[in-house]
Amino acid sequence: MHDILHRMTQGQASEDDLAMLEELAGLLRETSLCGLGQTAPNPVMSTLRYFRSEYEAHIRERRCPAGHCKIEAEVYA
Amino acid sequence: MSVKTLEIDGKMVTGVAGTTLFGVAWDNGIHIPRLCHIGGLSDVGACRLCLVEIEGQKRLQPSCLTAVEEGMVVRTDTPKLKAQRRLIVELLFAERNHVCSVCVMNGDCELQELASELGIDHVRVRYQNPSLAVDITHERFGLDHNRCILCTRCIRVCDEVEGAHTWDMFGRGTKSHIISDLGQPWGESDSCTSCGKCVQVCPTGALFNKGVPVAGMRKDRKFLKYIVTAREKKQWIE
Repeated sequence: MHDILHRMTQGQASEDDLAMLEELAGLLRETSLCGLGQTAPNPVMSTLRYFRSEYEAHIRERRCPAGHCKIEAEVYA
Repeated sequence: MSVKTLEIDGKMVTGVAGTTLFGVAWDNGIHIPRLCHIGGLSDVGACRLCLVEIEGQKRLQPSCLTAVEEGMVVRTDTPKLKAQRRLIVELLFAERNHVCSVCVMNGDCELQELASELGIDHVRVRYQNPSLAVDITHERFGLDHNRCILCTRCIRVCDEVEGAHTWDMFGRGTKSHIISDLGQPWGESDSCTSCGKCVQVCPTGALFNKGVPVAGMRKDRKFLKYIVTAREKKQWIE
């Protein structure tokens, strides 16, 4: 999951990665043995729920609406 | 000895109180996948492959650690469980360097068998390609961390059956790996009795006999039942 998120911030992720991110988060939440594993994907899942457009902007438009990730320069250079 | 009646995958089955769902399912021909469970050793519920849905319970339960109860309605093979198992096994493959074509256990590996049973022909997550050590300091056996799935069978058999407790788990998360003694090379271990039980229970080719060619290793797991039966029933029977 960290690998996928990292690639998103670099502007190198695809739509498949977004689907896999959701699947992994769901798997982790449902099959984990301990409470840490069960709640670890919560930040990803809640941002996916409320800020899905930002994820999509990183993938489709290769830009970061919040201006945090430095991907513009690499893509347009 | 009381008997419990329950339903697994729509089939009415009975199990003695205190036995696990996993054992009762296998006795009745319902083969729940597993990698960390092995008959004769304690269960840890680490591989998460034997998870089942139990009606009335919100969370999935590991069947190897869940005791049978009267009137349970259990489902072991829903599309959702199948998808989760598939992803778990894919993650196992991606986590280390499982290259079947150069492995001594090719053709008799539990991980390989499970993958083909679940129809895994590719892995959807990125391979981590970690750089891991191979310990061949022991005179007769070798340990290849690349093929280890951290099922802890070797740790349990060494502790519970052999009584040496040479193996243990070290580190956390992606850094976890098995160690002999306090991290010494296997060959220098003082507690190891060189009995080879860990090698035989290992589901993959992580623990192997030295000098075996690719796909040349076959493991004998019958000894475990033999020893455990002898201990519990004082009878030397197969």
